[in-house]
Amino acid sequence: MINNLAIGYITANYISREASALTQERPLASIPFMGRYRLIDFPLSNMMNADIKTVGLVMPGNCRSIIDHVGSGKDWTLDRKKGGLFLVPGNAYGTSKRGMRFLLRDIIANVELFRRSTKPYVVMMGSNIIFNLDLDEIIEAHRTSGAGVTMIYAIAQRDQPDAQSLAIGDRGRVREVRSGCGFGECKFMDAFIIDRRLLLNIIEDYATADYLDLFDAIRSDFERIDVCSYEFKGLMVGIFNQKTYYDRSMDLLRPETYDRLFQPSRPIITKAHDAAPAKYNAGCNVPDSLISAGCVIKGTVRGSILSRGVVVESGAKVRNSIIMQGCHVCAGATVENAILDKNNYVPENTELRGTLDDTLVIGKAPIRR
Amino acid sequence: MSRKECIAMLLAGGQGSRLGALTQKIAKPAVSFGGKFRIIDFALSNCTNSGIDTVGVLTQYRPYLLHSYIGSGEAWDMDNRDGGVSILPPYATQDGGAWYAGTADAITQNIDYIKGYDPDYVLILSGDHLYRMDYRKMLETHIAHGAELTVSVMPVPWEEASRFGILTTDDDDRIVKFSEKPEAPDSNLASMGIYIFSKDVLIEVLEEDAVDQRSSHDFGNDIIPKMLEEGRRLYTYEFKGFWKDVGTIASFHETSMDLLGEHPEFDLFDKSFPVLSNITTRPPHYIGPEARVSDCLISNGCRVYGTVTHSILSTDAIVHERAVVEDSVLLPGAEVKAGAHVRRAILGENAVVEEGVKLGSIDTTRDTAVVGNDVVIGKGE
Repeated sequence: MINNLAIGYITANYISREASALTQERPLASIPFMGRYRLIDFPLSNMMNADIKTVGLVMPGNCRSIIDHVGSGKDWTLDRKKGGLFLVPGNAYGTSKRGMRFLLRDIIANVELFRRSTKPYVVMMGSNIIFNLDLDEIIEAHRTSGAGVTMIYAIAQRDQPDAQSLAIGDRGRVREVRSGCGFGECKFMDAFIIDRRLLLNIIEDYATADYLDLFDAIRSDFERIDVCSYEFKGLMVGIFNQKTYYDRSMDLLRPETYDRLFQPSRPIITKAHDAAPAKYNAGCNVPDSLISAGCVIKGTVRGSILSRGVVVESGAKVRNSIIMQGCHVCAGATVENAILDKNNYVPENTELRGTLDDTLVIGKAPIRR
Repeated sequence: MSRKECIAMLLAGGQGSRLGALTQKIAKPAVSFGGKFRIIDFALSNCTNSGIDTVGVLTQYRPYLLHSYIGSGEAWDMDNRDGGVSILPPYATQDGGAWYAGTADAITQNIDYIKGYDPDYVLILSGDHLYRMDYRKMLETHIAHGAELTVSVMPVPWEEASRFGILTTDDDDRIVKFSEKPEAPDSNLASMGIYIFSKDVLIEVLEEDAVDQRSSHDFGNDIIPKMLEEGRRLYTYEFKGFWKDVGTIASFHETSMDLLGEHPEFDLFDKSFPVLSNITTRPPHYIGPEARVSDCLISNGCRVYGTVTHSILSTDAIVHERAVVEDSVLLPGAEVKAGAHVRRAILGENAVVEEGVKLGSIDTTRDTAVVGNDVVIGKGE
């Protein structure tokens, strides 16, 4: 669309409620996902595909990995003279373990972003529920509905206590936002469109309640503000903790699921790297796996996801596992039902095994030279 | 703009007619190679890895894809404020305009570009070989010899020497003779078509050549013989390493196959001198439950459900159930449908081999099968 009508605002300062080696050094937003991506690629790409050229990205305290990954935003064509990517500060205790998504304090702190814009709408997204949607279409639906806010939801395919659900009344009006979401309920995708002027008014009116989540602050005002809903019928993948991370990754191994997330017409973009194609040596065996560039495979890999530059030596076995960038699995070693974070070295003939119910997780190792 | 010690001029205008169906619609340097690269990546990456940040790319034949691929040069870290990649197509002047009539003429027509940077040296390259070369080492020998022109050479087997431009040197590597495809070679040092000129000399010889009615305006045919005749200081730089042509169907296939194996001579995985490319972001590739892959390079976005042996699958290539791909190169988006067999073949970009079709032969005495870009091969074709 030539006249894009919105700016973007992405909160990357989520923290998982549960401790995990995967999120010890990084926010959920920068967890490596599906081989070459990080969760933050999804909201950024959704916005890019709707031609949004101004995006505020709310930083977590431990922002190193995000800054390293998004840089100037060039990969998402956000290195603009006009607009572009703004890495904006988030509250250190921001959207914390209390499950907040859009902390009012963060929105208030970055009011400049909304004041300076001339666009009528702001698209706000979190970064741990991922999807690939046609944002243009939703912005258009929002515009024609005349609502103040349009919250995007999908029908939940499973119980998810960490998500929020929407109670929807007549004509798609949102009556309430509830914490927790059961199977078949309307799961809020942590994505919504709000009129920019309305947002500025809310910032003024609710400044004293800045410790609240935006939707908690305005909960008694839904009627007046006219909060509407939009049902997304595509694939929604929520990553809340280690278990959902593993399970949803394994779901996406199935090409029919993967195709719903990775659609060539709306590409998911990530930081560009120059890795050679993956190399398969004679004698390797790699059924049912997703393999990234730069991998070298001599052994057996089954039902697994390998990030860039993973080496699996001959006689090594990797099964039902997620192996992140730069890991090396030596000859005769076995890795099963496990997540190996970056740069792990599995010595010869060692065994790393989790079970189907209890995935073994090994945290990030220092880079090897 | 600031002065540069050495800039490069990359000759990328050739049609590459010997690549047949692969260059029907795109210039040779834009042909996909090695899974995720294009041929021009190797020369541009060599420049970046050699610290050369100013490259003029001379284009002419079907340049659209090449131009858009090069873009601002950022993929090779060449989006510099000062220098960077400049695309130099033929242009018009007050006296009219003309196509590039030869390698030397192409440089002559862009002499203003060279003068603008006022470098001490000019490196002249062509983009149709696979090699890794630190041009700085060549420049060092050029300076040490006090040469006016240095030609990079490579020893080739004597029995093949008559296929190349052969340089005969004295004990100090000074060139005494140049013979184009000699029947009875007295040297086995083949010119690699890589030249370093001292800039003032280059401008002088090109300006003389431009007004020479008998000249075909080619470095090999005209410039080098004339400089030798004049007794100028021409030296060789002997390159030791992998250097192979990708300019014919046979050499394209053979050089592609050279990338395979456990310890290939040209290692795409060498991070100390990386091959950079302007990639499209595609998801990791998927290997299906029944797939068999062995001795292959497989790129992002591929789907493999059949059997792939000793082959290269470029970005987004698909091999369906029960299909067999052997000793072949699938360029980006090529698809081999269920039950089809593809042997010793090159499938162009987005080419399709329909279900059950048998294409190519493992008989190495026969020509490599080639399917052009976007061509669909059905049964009975």
